[in-house]
Formats: sequence, structure tokens, C-alpha cells
Amino acid sequence: MRNLRVTVDGKAYNVLVEIDDDGFAPPRAAVAAVAAPLPPIPAPAPAVERPAPPAVTAGSGSVVSPLPGKVVSIDVKLGDAVAEGAQVATLEAMKMNTFVTAPRAGKVVEIHAQPGDAVEEGAPLVTLG
Amino acid sequence: MPIAEPLMETLAERRHLALAGGGEDKLQARHAKGLLGARERLVALFDPNTFMEWGLHADHDCHGFGLEGKSFPGDGVVTGVGYINGRPAAAFSQDFTVCGGSLGRIHSKKICDLMDYAMKAGMPIIGINDSGGARIQEGDDSLSGYGQVFFRNVQASGLVPQVSVIAGPCAGGAAYSPALTDFVIMTKQNSNMFICGPDVIKAATGQSVTMDEIGSAAAHASISGNIHFMAESDAQALELTRKLLSFLPANNIADAPHHLTPALDLAPDPVLNEILPADPKSPFDVLKVIARLVDGGDFLEVQRDWAKNLVVGFGRIQGVVCGIVANQPLVKAGTLDIDSSDKGARFIRTCNVYSIPIVTLVDIPGFMPGLAQERGGIIRHGAKMLFAYAAATAPKLTVILRKAYGGAYLAMCSADMGADMVYAWPTAEIAVMGAEGAVKILFKREIAGATDPKAKEGELVAMYREKFSSPFEAARKGFITDVIEPAQTRAVLAMALRNTLSKRETRPPKKHGNIPL
Repeated sequence: MRNLRVTVDGKAYNVLVEIDDDGFAPPRAAVAAVAAPLPPIPAPAPAVERPAPPAVTAGSGSVVSPLPGKVVSIDVKLGDAVAEGAQVATLEAMKMNTFVTAPRAGKVVEIHAQPGDAVEEGAPLVTLG
Repeated sequence: MPIAEPLMETLAERRHLALAGGGEDKLQARHAKGLLGARERLVALFDPNTFMEWGLHADHDCHGFGLEGKSFPGDGVVTGVGYINGRPAAAFSQDFTVCGGSLGRIHSKKICDLMDYAMKAGMPIIGINDSGGARIQEGDDSLSGYGQVFFRNVQASGLVPQVSVIAGPCAGGAAYSPALTDFVIMTKQNSNMFICGPDVIKAATGQSVTMDEIGSAAAHASISGNIHFMAESDAQALELTRKLLSFLPANNIADAPHHLTPALDLAPDPVLNEILPADPKSPFDVLKVIARLVDGGDFLEVQRDWAKNLVVGFGRIQGVVCGIVANQPLVKAGTLDIDSSDKGARFIRTCNVYSIPIVTLVDIPGFMPGLAQERGGIIRHGAKMLFAYAAATAPKLTVILRKAYGGAYLAMCSADMGADMVYAWPTAEIAVMGAEGAVKILFKREIAGATDPKAKEGELVAMYREKFSSPFEAARKGFITDVIEPAQTRAVLAMALRNTLSKRETRPPKKHGNIPL
């Protein structure tokens, strides 16, 4: 139950509202924003050297965005062979350009973002094969 | 009267047995793995022929579980004092060949006695950790031993520099002693450090992890931030220790080892005038600026692989030891986030306890925005930077290279945080926020009421930018000591650092401030 004070045409009414739902239910979109479980904090760019990659490496070839921002350019093309440390994308965030580099050498097998896209921290930009 | 021969023979025999540690075969096995023995590590750490061992004849004190009658030479740890670059230091080195370097009552007593002496004598303490952990047979004596070492780590903190070298296993509670010290150096091979190992994690939570993921030097250097330096080998770890101590004073009262020259070189460095990219949006490598400021380009970067958006480390500027804190625009736009705030605040406090001048190089667009940051407590973590700078009474010099926006400007040791001097390059932009955002708030009505709102907004943005995209507005109000040509930076800092060496700032006495943690 919730006591609410509602004003209609300048006249105030005190109303008692019973809420059917489990909790206070704001519009759907807001629910998603407020009550969504914490997104998993993405692992930072794979700087750890592993002697052998573990069996399950979902997206181990992914080059991910180091911070939330806007994609300025994808600086590689599908099929390009890139060296470790090569620039693969340029992002803009905080009025600064950030160059995203390849954590290891590989061939570009997939491109996940286009210039103008807004990306979250940890979002894959390209996948290296 | 000459001393009786049998006494001499007994001494020689006892020394021989004690020095053999776990035996020649075990030592050879270590050599085969590329590892040094416990004593060899100390010999490598200290200047030649300066190590004086303490407690060589110590042995364990356990009377149960089949240990009676057994001998553990030195009780698994070698302790003593020596000289490093001509300056005295105390060190202990756990001997894995003796009962796995396990920690029992006498083992911990040897470490504690050494630490007590080092605190009285005001000399650094170096701990080389290589131990299987608690000596189970000794039960709570072993646990108490850890507690006593931890207690002394805390008493020594801020009194004498403490450096931990992890050169073997360092598991469970044992990992907390290094964590309480000023610096942790870890070797890549042979060592691991963790609280709960993969087996315990699997049993308790069902999660499968590898030792490399949780306990390797690489994981700690780049992800957890638990260590400060990663070394390729035992020898390199000890060389790093010597190098690190070359920047630190013997204790909190002694001066840092400055190499003051009678005259200062005030020649400009024209390269610095061209080091910034033309586009203010473009990142640049702040390490290149640091390399031109410190003597011989010799910069010992601390926690190089973790929270790389902030660079911290030691160098000398015309002989004066200083700690450098710099935003790195190459990484995460140079913003301060949770990890870089923790890294910076810790380093600032390390410098402050040893009265090492702090030089801050600023190019920061703000705190890192994002859900993970806000929920992770960036307020609490970012506050550590403000706290550390404001609480520091060591000399504080700030150079604003480019952007210095909003709260992040304050968090990078602005004049208001007690900087002794703040210099700005002509490229400095000191503002409460970016021009576009500021104009939208300041001139909302004017823009809405204009015949051409877009044009009006553009005009106002340009006006705002002109006012705040230079250091002169801040300089006019006294927030800047001087606006300098980049080429003059090294000379100006050298002069200023000499100037600050006599700085004595006292604050009202209290137990301690309450830094947000």
C-alpha cells in the first residue's frame, strides 16, 4: 500500500494505492535499467600470458573496447593479417581518441562495430582468428 | 692460551651442517630448475662480502608428530644484515629445502627479531618469500608466528621501507605479509601467490580455475594489482630490489638518496616543445615526456602493467629523487578510474611517508564514466586520490600539460590540494567542464531566444573555449605558479625541487586521518 497525494485541476486528493506487483513498478524500460542484474564486468584486455589457452575461451580472439565510447573508425578490413600491437580501431570518449590495438597477432575474421556505433566497455570490436 | 681444538672442530662442523640447509642434492635440484638457494639469494641481494647471518644455529622447537629428533637447519629461514649500494639493510630468505620453508615458531621468531632490529636501526627490510606455508605440526604456534610477522609489518610500515620478493609459493595467510609491505616483486617462474588455490575454489564453489589465472606473477601484475614488479628470474628480482632501494631513504627520518650536483643545468629541451600532437583529441605517450624529464631517461615504473591509464614511478630530476604520477592519455583516454585511483593514491602515500617529492603530470579529461565504475564505487576510490594528495606534506609539484577538467583536475594535485607549485604548459586547458556542455547550461535562454540558436551556440562555445582553453584564466586567479614553455620544464622542475627540499609542513596532531578504503 502506498499513500499518494494527487492533484487534479488544482485540487489535491490523498489516495491510498494498493500495488499488485511485487514491488513498485515503473515503466518497463526503467525496470530494465534499475533492476537488471549487474552486467558481468568484462575482463580487461588479455594481458596475462597463459602457457596454454584454457579449453573454454569464449571470444578469446576478440579485441574489445577498453572503455565506453563511440567508434570513430575500424582501422582493419576483413581478412587483414594484423601484428600484435597493431591499431585495429579508433574510439572517441571523453573528447579524446583512444586507439585500440591487437593483443596478439592474427587474421581479422569478424568485425562487430561500425563507425558511429556506441560501444560499452568490453564490447567486442573485431575478432582475430 | 689457544682455544681448545675440539671446540673449534665442533664449531666448524655445526656451521657446515647449518649452512648445508636441506642438503646439497636439494640445492642442486633447485639449480637445475634455474633457481637460487636461500643463502645465494641473499648473497645476490647484498654487496659482495657484506652479509652477516643471524641465527645460523637456530632449529625447530616442535615436540610432536615425529619431528622430535629431526633437525631443520636455521628452521627454514636465513636472516641477517648486509649492505645494499653501501647502505645497511636487513633481509630474510625462506629456505624451501628445509621442511619446505614452512613457518614454525623459531622460523617466525628469527624474522621478528630481525624486523625489530631493523626498526630500531632504521634500515629497510627485505623479505624473500619461498615457503610451503604454515608448519602444520606446530599448530597454533605457527599461526601465532604469522600474526607476529603481520603485526611487525604494520609497525614498520611508514618507518622503514619494506620490500617483499615472492620467489616461490606464497599461499593463504602467508600472502598477507607481502601485502602489508611497501613493494612486492614476484618472479615469473616457480612462484605463485593466492589466498585460496584452485582445489579449494573448486571444492567450495565448483568454479574451475587454473593456478595461472589466480596466482601467477602475470595475473597479479596486470589484473589484481597485488604486485609492483614482475621479474624474469631470481637474480633479476634481487637486482630490481637493489634498484628500487636506490630511490628510497633508509627510514622515514632520513633523506631520500638524492645525488645533488653543485650546479644545475638549466638548458632548455626543445624536443618537449614538439612532443604534443597538434590535435588536442589525439593521445600521446606520457612516458616519452617522463623520459625527457628524468636524469638519463632512468625511470623505474611501478605497477607498469596494471591500471595503465595512470603512470607512477621513481626517477631523479637533476639529482633529486622524486615520485612521478602522470595521466596516460594512450589508455582509457587518460581518465581516472577505480584501479588507477587506487594505484595513484597508494603511490602518493608511499612517497609521502618517505618525504619523497611528488611530481604530477596532468592531462586528464575526467573520471571514467560508466555503470561498472559508478557501481564499483568510483566515488570512494577517486576520493583516495584527493585524500592522498591533500594529506601529503612531502613536496608537491604539478605540471599541467593539457586537459585538466572538473573534479579530476582537483584529484591531480591542483593548487587547492596543497601543491607547492603548479606549472602549466601553454596548451593547458583548465575548466570545470568541456565548452559544449558548459555553454548549454550557462546560456540556455540566450541560445533558445536567438534567431539562429545553432549559430549562437557555436559563438558562445568559441567564447567559452577561448577563456578556458588556456591556462591564463587560472593563472590570473592565482591557481598557477607560472605558465612555462615545455622546453623549460626540466630546468624549472629541477630548480623547484631543490627549493622544496627544506620544506617542513606540520599539521595538527591526530592518530591518523580516515582515508576512504
